[in-house]
Amino acid sequence: MTTAPGVDPALGRCVEATRALFGAAACSIALVDDDGATLEFVASDGEGADAIVGVTIPVSRGIAGWAAMSGQPIAVRDVQSDARFARDVAESTHYVPNAIYAAPMIDAAGEVLGVASVLDPDVEEASDWTLNVLGTMAGLMALVATATSGGDPQERPLAGLGSDVLRLVESWQGSDHGGSA
Amino acid sequence: MSNAPAWSGAFDRGSLQDVVGLPIADVRAWAFGGATGAGVKVAVVDSGVDAGHPRVGGIAGAIAFELDPAAELGYVEREGAHEDLVGHGTACAAIIRALAPDVEIHSVRVLGANLKGRGALLHAGVAWSVDHGMHVANLSLSSKSDTMFGPLHEIADEAYFSGTVLVCAANNLPGPTYPSQYASVVSVAARPGHEEMALAYNAHPPVEFGARGIDVDVAWADHGSITATGNSFAAPHVTGMVALMRSKHPWLTPFQVKAVLQAASINSISG
Repeated sequence: MTTAPGVDPALGRCVEATRALFGAAACSIALVDDDGATLEFVASDGEGADAIVGVTIPVSRGIAGWAAMSGQPIAVRDVQSDARFARDVAESTHYVPNAIYAAPMIDAAGEVLGVASVLDPDVEEASDWTLNVLGTMAGLMALVATATSGGDPQERPLAGLGSDVLRLVESWQGSDHGGSA
Repeated sequence: MSNAPAWSGAFDRGSLQDVVGLPIADVRAWAFGGATGAGVKVAVVDSGVDAGHPRVGGIAGAIAFELDPAAELGYVEREGAHEDLVGHGTACAAIIRALAPDVEIHSVRVLGANLKGRGALLHAGVAWSVDHGMHVANLSLSSKSDTMFGPLHEIADEAYFSGTVLVCAANNLPGPTYPSQYASVVSVAARPGHEEMALAYNAHPPVEFGARGIDVDVAWADHGSITATGNSFAAPHVTGMVALMRSKHPWLTPFQVKAVLQAASINSISG
C-alpha cells in the first residue's frame, strides 16, 4: 500500500481493504485539486501502486474522470479498447488493466471530492450490486478523507473502517466461501 | 420502504414484484410498434457526442456549456460542433439511435475540464433542453449537492409542465441524488439482461424503472467501442423507448409517458 505524503494512513487502509473486498489487482483513490481541474492519486494498493501515487490527470479524461464529472459509478470491462484511456494510463503507470470500476467520492455537502477506482476485480460479472458496493465504499472513504485533522488519529470518525473491512474480508476468505468477491 | 436507498437492488434476478398497470391491450405494440422516433427531438446532456461515430449516425445540433468566471452566470454557451471528452455521451447517443433510428439528437455538453460549477452547468443543460422544445432529455449524470436541490427541482418541474421528459440515471451511491430523485422525472437503474427494449417497474420507488445496463457493448471515443456497466447506460435505453412512443403519439404528456412505460414493463399486470 502506498500513500502520498500527508495522507491519513486510515485512507490507505481503506484502499487496501477495498482491493481485498473485490479481489482486485489494484485499488486507488484520487482527489480533486482545489481548482477542480485535476485528480491526484493519493493512495493505492496492488499493481502499479508505487507508480500511480503522485500522478495527476485532468478531470476531463478517462473512466475515473467521467465518474468525477458525472457523479455516477461506472464499470468498463475491456478498457484497453478505449485507446484514449490506454494512452492516458500508459503515460502514468506501467499497469494497464482489462477492467476498471470507478465511483465518485462525495463529501458531506454533496460535492465530488475524488474518485475510487478498482482495477481487474475478481467478480463473476459487473452488476448494479457490485457498483452499489463500490459506491458505498467510496462514500465512506470520502468521510475518512474529510475527517478533521489533528488530535489522536485513532479517534477520528471511521478511523477503523479499513481495518474492520479487511478483517471481515479475510475472515470470509478463510471460511468455506472461497476468495471471490 | 419509503426511505429505501436509490440502489435498492429491486431489479436483481428473482426480486421483481408484480405491479398493476393501466388496462391497455397490447401496450407495447401500441406504444412502440412501427415507430422510428421520426420528428422527436432528443437532448443528450453529457460529455459531448461524436457526431462522426458510425453508431451515432450524425446529430442535429450541438451546444456546449463551459465555465467562465467573467460571465454573468458563471458560464458561457458555445453553439456548434464539439468533441466528446470521454466517450460517454457518444455511448448514450448510439444507444438511443439503435432504438429510435430517426430521432433528432442534440448534444448538450455540460461536463468539461473543471468540476467547479458542475451543478450549475447541469442545470443550464436541462434549461436549454426545455427552452428549445426537446421532447426528451437523457441525463446519465447527477448531483448530490445540497445547494443544487432547489434549482434542479425547479427546472425539473418546468420540464414536466413543458412536455420535456427527463430520463435520469439513478445513482449507485447512498442517499438522494438529483434530479433522479424527483417525482417529475423518469428514473432508471440497470438490470440484468441483454434485450434492448426490456423494461421493468420497481414497486418501491424512488428508482422507478430498470433497463439494460450491464455489460453493454457501447460506442466510445475515437470511433471505438467498449463493454460497460452502469445506470448511465440503462437510462438511454428508456430514452429511446420514450422517443419511439412520442413519435407515434406526440400528444403524450410526461405523466402519460410514465404510465405507458409502467404498463409496458415485464412485471406489469393489467388493472
